[in-house]
Amino acid sequence: MALYLEGVLVALKGVPVTVGVSFAATVIGILFGFVLAIMKLSRSRVLGAIATVYVEVIRGTPVVVQALVFAYGIPQLLQAHGVAFKWDRLIIPAVLCCGLNSAAYVAEIIRGGLQAVDKGQTEAAYSLGMSHSLAMRIVIIPQALKIALPTFGNEFVALIKETSVLSYVGVVEILRRGAIWNAKTFYTFQAYIGVAIVYMLLTIPLGRLIKYLEKRMSTG
Amino acid sequence: MIEVKNLTKQFGSQTVLRSISETIRDNEVVCIIGPSGGGKSTFLRCLVLLEEATDGQVIVNGVPLTKKNAVLMRRNMGMVFQNFNLFPHMTALKNITAAPIHVCGLSRQAAEAEAMELLDRVGLADKAHAFPSELSGGQKQRVAIARALAMHPEILLFDEPTSALDPEMVGEVLSVMKSLAHSGMTLVVVTHEMGFAREVSDRVLFMDNGVIAEQGSPAELFGAPKEERTRNFLRMVL
Repeated sequence: MALYLEGVLVALKGVPVTVGVSFAATVIGILFGFVLAIMKLSRSRVLGAIATVYVEVIRGTPVVVQALVFAYGIPQLLQAHGVAFKWDRLIIPAVLCCGLNSAAYVAEIIRGGLQAVDKGQTEAAYSLGMSHSLAMRIVIIPQALKIALPTFGNEFVALIKETSVLSYVGVVEILRRGAIWNAKTFYTFQAYIGVAIVYMLLTIPLGRLIKYLEKRMSTG
Repeated sequence: MIEVKNLTKQFGSQTVLRSISETIRDNEVVCIIGPSGGGKSTFLRCLVLLEEATDGQVIVNGVPLTKKNAVLMRRNMGMVFQNFNLFPHMTALKNITAAPIHVCGLSRQAAEAEAMELLDRVGLADKAHAFPSELSGGQKQRVAIARALAMHPEILLFDEPTSALDPEMVGEVLSVMKSLAHSGMTLVVVTHEMGFAREVSDRVLFMDNGVIAEQGSPAELFGAPKEERTRNFLRMVL
């Protein structure tokens, strides 16, 4: 019994890194995802195509593969061409990779939000002499973001679980802590159950909080 | 003045407007009545390019309306919608000041001062800081009218402005529209409110099946309709 508790305590040490990386990645994901959504909805075919390809590639490949390419693949490629490159700290490509990955999903969330805004809003804006970009800026986008906000919260929770993949690229987050303890003590079951429990301690309350906020926003 | 020449609109295989030619003169109050699907709303929306005509022209004050100049031309033509289309994330006041500030470059103070005057004119000065969700349908529509007026359009278009309202709120909106008509504004109103059309319009157009089947002064159209289908329609609604 004490071993299970120790497993949990060991895993808990990874929480700051997991939450920190997830948060940073969510922010990057929202900012870049927003750019992607605008690109996709813009009148420029080139921009739209770039965004579409990006989203399809990112959503079509496993995060762990993207993380390996970023963290290890890119430095190796650069070194093979004579550029002395090494990530200072592996957490940098880790955060970037998760952020860029999240962006692809966020882009679709935002696009959904933008399309969910009533068509009449755009028409009213146009009827007042607003240009398309002005209408987007002050009428459509604020409403779309409000619609998309709960889904962003879900994205953050998803990222918390997804960052477990970063244990593959040397980031010492929750899963890695458990794996290290397992390697030392061979209490494999206790180690990974501890990891699972800590993830649940994060995701379940967060999930409830998001549901609560969602409810408050829809009635408000 | 709005000149419409051979305006045609097709949605796929359906022809909704059949080569309509008509002129709306300055300071005229024109009401468009007719059965559902007759093309009334589509016609109105073509006047501000919310619908793109398949063929034909809309000429406003001598300038043909195109996609390129629509944004500019729309400053002079306001529209009031059946479903109000107020911006839900802004107060009544901000709904009204949004366009004057961002489109015309008016200062916040000037825009707000004028907005308060307009709210007063439609009887809602006390609701300036209310959000649309806190307003009744009739109040929302009156704010929508004030919002359209804030841009000082020469022409105001109304697309069935009272159709979505509970009966007891129709009167307050019609009353605002009547005062606009009396003030000399050019109004084009698609409506089912025959009483209003009879009382306030200079001219009534009866639209059916994509054409203006008949038109005349209210006395002529309501009193002595010439066309069979006009008579049939009026018989059903009056």
